[in-house]
Amino acid sequence: MKDVVLRAEGLSLSFPGVLAFRAISFALHRREVLAIVGPSGCGKSSLFNVIAGLQAPSEGRVEVLGQPVAGATGHVGYMLQKDLLLPWRSVLDNVLLGLEIRGVKRAEAEARARALIEAYGLKGFEAAKPGTLSGGMRQRVAFMRTLAPDPEVVLLDEPFSALDFQTKLLLQREVQSIIRERAKSAILVTHDIGEAIVMADRVLVLSRRPGTIKSTHVIALPDAVRDPVEARRTPEFQAHFDAIWSDLDQPVEAAPR
Amino acid sequence: MTPSRKWGGFSPALLAKQVLLVAGILAAWEWGVRSGVMAAYIYGQPSGIYAKARGLIASGELLTHTWVTAQEAVAGFLIGSTLGSLCGLLLWLSPGFAAVVRPVMIAINGVPKIALAPLIIVWFGIGMEAKIAIAAILTFIVSLIATFAGTREVDQDLIRLMRSLGASRFQTWRKVVAPATLPWIVSALRLNVGFALIGAVVGEYISAKEGLGYLVYFSGTLYDLNAVWTGIFALMALALVLDRCVTFIEQKARWA
Ligand SMILES: Nc1ncnc2c1ncn2[C@@H]1O[C@H](COP(=O)(O)OP(=O)(O)OP(=O)(O)O)[C@@H](O)[C@H]1O
Ligand SMILES: [Mg+2]
Repeated sequence: MKDVVLRAEGLSLSFPGVLAFRAISFALHRREVLAIVGPSGCGKSSLFNVIAGLQAPSEGRVEVLGQPVAGATGHVGYMLQKDLLLPWRSVLDNVLLGLEIRGVKRAEAEARARALIEAYGLKGFEAAKPGTLSGGMRQRVAFMRTLAPDPEVVLLDEPFSALDFQTKLLLQREVQSIIRERAKSAILVTHDIGEAIVMADRVLVLSRRPGTIKSTHVIALPDAVRDPVEARRTPEFQAHFDAIWSDLDQPVEAAPR
Repeated sequence: MTPSRKWGGFSPALLAKQVLLVAGILAAWEWGVRSGVMAAYIYGQPSGIYAKARGLIASGELLTHTWVTAQEAVAGFLIGSTLGSLCGLLLWLSPGFAAVVRPVMIAINGVPKIALAPLIIVWFGIGMEAKIAIAAILTFIVSLIATFAGTREVDQDLIRLMRSLGASRFQTWRKVVAPATLPWIVSALRLNVGFALIGAVVGEYISAKEGLGYLVYFSGTLYDLNAVWTGIFALMALALVLDRCVTFIEQKARWA
């Protein structure tokens, strides 16, 4: 079948006194966008930390392109709700950050960064400081920074949740098409079921803490519908929405003890 | 969250009010002494201070004293602030070492540093070096503590981001922690103008042959209050000039 880019096998993570998630296994294929939804506190961000190698799992393993992940080596791109742009660096220099860390030569790095900036609608803003940009543009720069080192897998942790609705829809479509175009794959954590459905090929629903995979939904929207707004009008969207919604647990805080 | 500059810009209306305020205080003071409400030998007298200052300026003494104190304060400021900021930044590289020295830093910070002055006189003698050393120690500690506190305020998500990009601890330090701490370093510089002058003047109080601290202290023992005031005003002027210099550095060091 399609080639597997990332594989998680039997992942568990416990903090002292807290089991964050347990027994999580899945495979991510090339060009695939996998969404993860689950109640607040069920361990989604912790799962990303493990996948990115920032945190060792208590059990299980992660493989990227067949290689086991050992520590944070920049094997995945990581994007958060906060854009985390460095305010003292220009847009160009922010996009360059990952390449600098890799030790890529300045001329080559700059060519790559400029190409990205141009391709995705930020031309003319190379020298601007992040403080002068809108929230949507800043998040776009953050996405360019994530893409610049050319990671196989991009982890998106609620990347659009701080944006206004219109900007959010725009970026959802953009990010999705960029990932497909560049033959990458992505895992998207979101609280927005609609966002999960329009962006992802598959949606994993996690249970409340300790998070474990409760159900998997393969998203099938009519092929012609590319637009996130259009997609929301289809009966298929509604069916997926209802199915995922009924699988979602109450958040941890509200759970009876 | 980020400390910022408090004073800025120039406004003639504001300046006029400031001049008026100072002139008002001086006039009330002069009147108080002339009418006999205040004793000149306890409070000094503006007209006397003016005469004294003219004399000290004409003889070149005031300039010499000011120049000596300025050199001591600036040298101490530069040494202390630079080393303090650098050490505060470097501590971030080794959380283990930072944990070990933290109690020591807290203890030293709790001691009135002036209490160390006699030790320094013993170690460095009574020359300019001792005054520079006192000013350097005061400013070192302020910069060290402010800078170290600044490094701990750096957004942990930024550090996670750097790690996820595969950055080493040193790369994270150089590309994120150090620049992000810059506002804290600069705000410590502003405090250090005052501390450097305190260091130099206290050193001169203890033992010196020249400097504004010497002028103030020595004139005080002679009950020459007008000379004391002249020295104090010269210190104020010096503080304002140094503060301006820091403002200049601040503007250069702005990153956003
Ligand atoms: N360093 C840590 N030490 C101890 N417990 C932690 C740590 N990090 C996270 N946790 C706990 O692990 C659980 C999962 O946290 P995590 O941030 O992964 O949840 P999440 O699913 O991302 O939540 P949200 O949807 O609110 O972002 C939480 O109960 C949290 O309190
Ligand atoms: Mg989270």
